[in-house]
Amino acid sequence: MGTIVSVIALAHAPGATGWLDKAPQHEQDALRAGYAAMGERLRAARPDVIVGVANDHLLNFPMESIPDWCVGTAARWRGPAEWFRDWVNIAPYEVAGERELARHIVRHAGRSGFNLAFSDRLEFDDNWSVPLKFLTPDYGVPLVPIHMNCVVPPLPQPQRCYEFGTVLADAVRAWPAQARVAIMATGGLSHDPGGPRYFAVDEKFDRWFLELLGTGDAQRVLRELTIEKMIAAGDGGTVELLAWIVALGAAGGRAAQTDFYVPSVPLRCGMGGVSWAV
Amino acid sequence: MSILDTDRTLPANKLIFEVRRDAALRARFRTDLEGLMRDYGLSEAERTALRQADIRRLGELGVHPYFLPQVTRLFKGAGYNHNESEAAQLYADKMLKERA
Repeated sequence: MGTIVSVIALAHAPGATGWLDKAPQHEQDALRAGYAAMGERLRAARPDVIVGVANDHLLNFPMESIPDWCVGTAARWRGPAEWFRDWVNIAPYEVAGERELARHIVRHAGRSGFNLAFSDRLEFDDNWSVPLKFLTPDYGVPLVPIHMNCVVPPLPQPQRCYEFGTVLADAVRAWPAQARVAIMATGGLSHDPGGPRYFAVDEKFDRWFLELLGTGDAQRVLRELTIEKMIAAGDGGTVELLAWIVALGAAGGRAAQTDFYVPSVPLRCGMGGVSWAV
Repeated sequence: MSILDTDRTLPANKLIFEVRRDAALRARFRTDLEGLMRDYGLSEAERTALRQADIRRLGELGVHPYFLPQVTRLFKGAGYNHNESEAAQLYADKMLKERA
């Protein structure tokens, strides 16, 4: 059976690899140190596979048909998608998939009331490219990417995201293979691509949210972290924190420890990461 | 203007979605934007706004907000997209300046 050895959530904004030199030195240092510490702990947990959950930035699914979640079932992945290479400033890379686990998640979730889409053909942008570059720069840990809809309403509500996280964790534990599995949500924190606060960060919201995650009161998180509140903190970007709610569910609703937080206007994003004890 | 106001059926959303995924369409975006907009069935209002990279107007018409900075990158380049980059400055100019 699968064992969950790590549950983490972290920001993936492209400025971290694309134009980090434009941030003040103290922001660069804090961000590099934060990602490095998260990467060290992740690698120390010796995962055989990472199951990732992140927003699909309107890259893979046309407006006609956007699934709440789509599990990547390919045996091998390539990134970044061509047009996003310059933007994220990351050289083309390959990372293995884990086809059997991915198929198992689709089947297991289907029996638990989640009609997941699945695909062998997912393109990656900053959602995976930025976290992998910092956390597993040799791309040595296979990835099951789960793309989710965080930005095109109607959205899966926080309660549904939490329930999906619990189902995802159940699926991992029910996988017959002996495997160590890390769960990694990416996205957030506050940012406003396409809105009037594109060049701003909502530090007050971010700190409130991180503190809320630290309470270990999952019901309170689900009650207080409404989609409206996320939209108010940065339309079109902050709602990516729905992926973190999936991770919260996978972690059994326990308290998250903040690993780092850097509100960075030059990167146009509240950058941070958290870990759950597993 | 919000993700809540997105018109998923708007032809401009389909055009922008597909251009980002296809190098040949991106080449055509640069060389034959008018023909491309015609083929995708954009309304006159959409065409005027996209021709002028008027992202605020595109948003008002129902283009998804996430696409708006990407429109500025289609016009000005995607690399090194810091706050003083041409693409980001185009965003500031079109989205944040008061209209005359």
